Amino acid sequence: MSMNVQPDLDFIKAMKEAGGDTLKQCYQCATCSVACPLSTDDNPFPRKQMIMAQWGMREQLSNDASIFLCHQCGDCTEMCPRGARPGDVLGAIRAYAYRSLGWPTALADLCSSAKNLPMLIGIPAIVIFVLWVISGGMHIPSAEHFAEAGYTQFFGHWDFRLLAKNVLFIDIIMLTAAGIAVTSVYKGLSKMWKNMESSLGKNDVAYRPSIPQFIKQFLWPAVVEIMQHTRFKECTVNVDRVKGHKPLLLAFIGLFIVTCYSLFTQDVLGIIWPSMHGPLSMLNPVKWLANVSAIAMIVGVGILWMNRAKMEAEGKAQNTFYDWFLIWMIMGVGVTGFAAELLRLVGIPSLGYVIYYLHLISVAMLFLYMPYTKFAHIVYRTFALAFERFRESSYIKNPLNQ
Amino acid sequence: MSDTAGNGAILVVGGGISGITAALEAAEVGNDVFIIEKNPYFGGRVAQLNQYFPKLCPPTCGLEINFKRIKDNRKIRTYSLTTVKSISGGPGNYEVQLETAPRYINSNCTACGDCAQACTDEIDDEFNFGMGKTKAAYLPHEMAFPRRYVLKKEACSAACLDAVKAACKYNAVDLDMQPKTFTLKVSSIIWSTGWNPYDPEKITNLKFNSSSAIITNMMMERLAAPNGPTQGKILRPGDKKEPESFAFVQCAGSRDENHLEHCSYICCMATFKHISYIREQYPEAQVYVFYIDLRTPGKYEHFREKFADDANVTFVKGKVADITAERDGGVTVIAENALTGAKVNQKVDLCVLATGMQPALGEEGKALGVTMDGNGFVVSEPEKGMIAAGCAKSAVDVYTSGQSSTAAALKAIQIGQ
Repeated sequence: MSMNVQPDLDFIKAMKEAGGDTLKQCYQCATCSVACPLSTDDNPFPRKQMIMAQWGMREQLSNDASIFLCHQCGDCTEMCPRGARPGDVLGAIRAYAYRSLGWPTALADLCSSAKNLPMLIGIPAIVIFVLWVISGGMHIPSAEHFAEAGYTQFFGHWDFRLLAKNVLFIDIIMLTAAGIAVTSVYKGLSKMWKNMESSLGKNDVAYRPSIPQFIKQFLWPAVVEIMQHTRFKECTVNVDRVKGHKPLLLAFIGLFIVTCYSLFTQDVLGIIWPSMHGPLSMLNPVKWLANVSAIAMIVGVGILWMNRAKMEAEGKAQNTFYDWFLIWMIMGVGVTGFAAELLRLVGIPSLGYVIYYLHLISVAMLFLYMPYTKFAHIVYRTFALAFERFRESSYIKNPLNQ
Repeated sequence: MSDTAGNGAILVVGGGISGITAALEAAEVGNDVFIIEKNPYFGGRVAQLNQYFPKLCPPTCGLEINFKRIKDNRKIRTYSLTTVKSISGGPGNYEVQLETAPRYINSNCTACGDCAQACTDEIDDEFNFGMGKTKAAYLPHEMAFPRRYVLKKEACSAACLDAVKAACKYNAVDLDMQPKTFTLKVSSIIWSTGWNPYDPEKITNLKFNSSSAIITNMMMERLAAPNGPTQGKILRPGDKKEPESFAFVQCAGSRDENHLEHCSYICCMATFKHISYIREQYPEAQVYVFYIDLRTPGKYEHFREKFADDANVTFVKGKVADITAERDGGVTVIAENALTGAKVNQKVDLCVLATGMQPALGEEGKALGVTMDGNGFVVSEPEKGMIAAGCAKSAVDVYTSGQSSTAAALKAIQIGQ
């Protein structure tokens, strides 16, 4: 049987841009698959993914759960006899996968290169600025008014009690960004799951799990595992990342709860009791959670920042836009959010408003670019971990036939 | 034999098969040759082999005749236990400072062995890679040339030294012997410093020290050699078990940026040779060879074919990257089989690391003015009268060493004429 391999030059170029330029050094000794603490006996990686990438088999790679199961510990890179840096190459493959799964394509392409950074920041900056101008809220409040209302009248105020003016504008910005992201992720996940399932070669599965079954048996255990950082802790070379990733993950959960609470009190309860509008009291336990989460976010991403810089200084990781963009965005959200709160407490409205404007930009970026940047791992890796359980389950493998 | 300048004399550094060949070739066309050797014996790595390529002869076969040629040739002067201290001058007119370490046994020695019998202290048997002990007064191996005992004085107690001295009927034990420095004037220098087996402890993931069931390919040669620690019976060190299964770990430390970047050339063929040793003693034993690529240079491909057909020899494409010691004394080697895409956990009784060749002339070579490449091999510079031969030049087998040594001799005799 002869095999005609058509190398995909665009793919190889994308690999190089995303930090996988060492790819061609690989000579398939398979040391990496044994060095990898996460690779299993039946589905070892990343040796196979390295040769698939060398051959430019991008379709097969995007269908491969292994690329998301990799946590980029760097144990393989450490032991690689050729300096092929499999850890970095798999990171580059993931970057490519997020881009190819992403919708709309133009936005996904925009997020793939540092050259587009002015656009990436510019789009939300201009949109929010224009809305700020249109809203008519664009003037610096008096100190007393600022102390009372904080940033809740950033976009101005009207007396229509069913929907506060500020809430409307915030919702226009953030719900649009989040809506695009959710649609994109939904499309991407459906595509990924379908592809991964078809790669199992089982098209006539007798029983499929219902949605509750799927969540109970596959998704929830995956989420629990993520929370516990079980796989991160398996890494030997780069185990310090847990110290940064764990507080960061908990911070995101904390801030998600705070945001939901805010949304509920401002948009729903605020209709009945207008006094619910305005900043949370410092005595409110939800505010405590918000503050603790904000600090955890800055500390967590700070640890990851330093860890990454150290690894790059030691030559253990490549400097890539893909990795840094997410760190910058999260740091931006954390620092601007926390600074805006401090400025409110000390009562400097002018600077506070400028910082709050930057905070809105960074939050919108985080939402909008989530499906195309490294941030996408929160959904794709979670579902890959669920898929890993699914392919081992009795839906796919009949234990009687084994 | 003169040692004045401009005499066309040649210094050969290293008395293994390459150095001996180069020295003989140069001397037999009429040049004066000084050959020095760091060890107390000549013959180098070949002397430690059970059999060697291309014809799988025992080392006695090639070395003995060469030793006889050296003894019969008045143009060659041999210095064992001798190293180069410094070099000055230039091509055609080198002045080399050398130092001979004390042997503590002088030329009165008849190799009767009475000193060894009287000696009460023991040392690790270096010739057998530490598998077993030898007396501190010892003959390095049974066909050692020069045929003279060595005394490791610093390993002996005063009482032991007295006993050794008293035992010698020929007054050959000289405990006051001092290091001796001397100067040679030569036209050119042949570097045939050979190789050392790569230190397996440096390959930390293969956990060499975790089990006595993990040995190196050179240890395998000693186990199979009739003059080795087990009289030629391949037994597991430690518990002396007859192994029923073997794993060969190819490229252990070779072709690896973290260890030796070069391909050591001989290890694949050495493994096939070891399978031939195993088949002689254990016709039914299971053998697993874990490789990246099997490299069988030149005519050796036919040798591979013979074992490729053996039903009990399994070749797995995938490098062993982890080894676990088992409670029964064996080990489990772990690799990914790149052809099936699944991991292999293979339990075996004995695991042989096919460790590669590390050039023996290390940093001190640079200090002496030798040009070396990035892997530590000597770069031949005939115009400077510095010529490399054998494994000092590149990782090769005995046959190719012979060729490069003859070539080195031809270059050397043209200098200072």
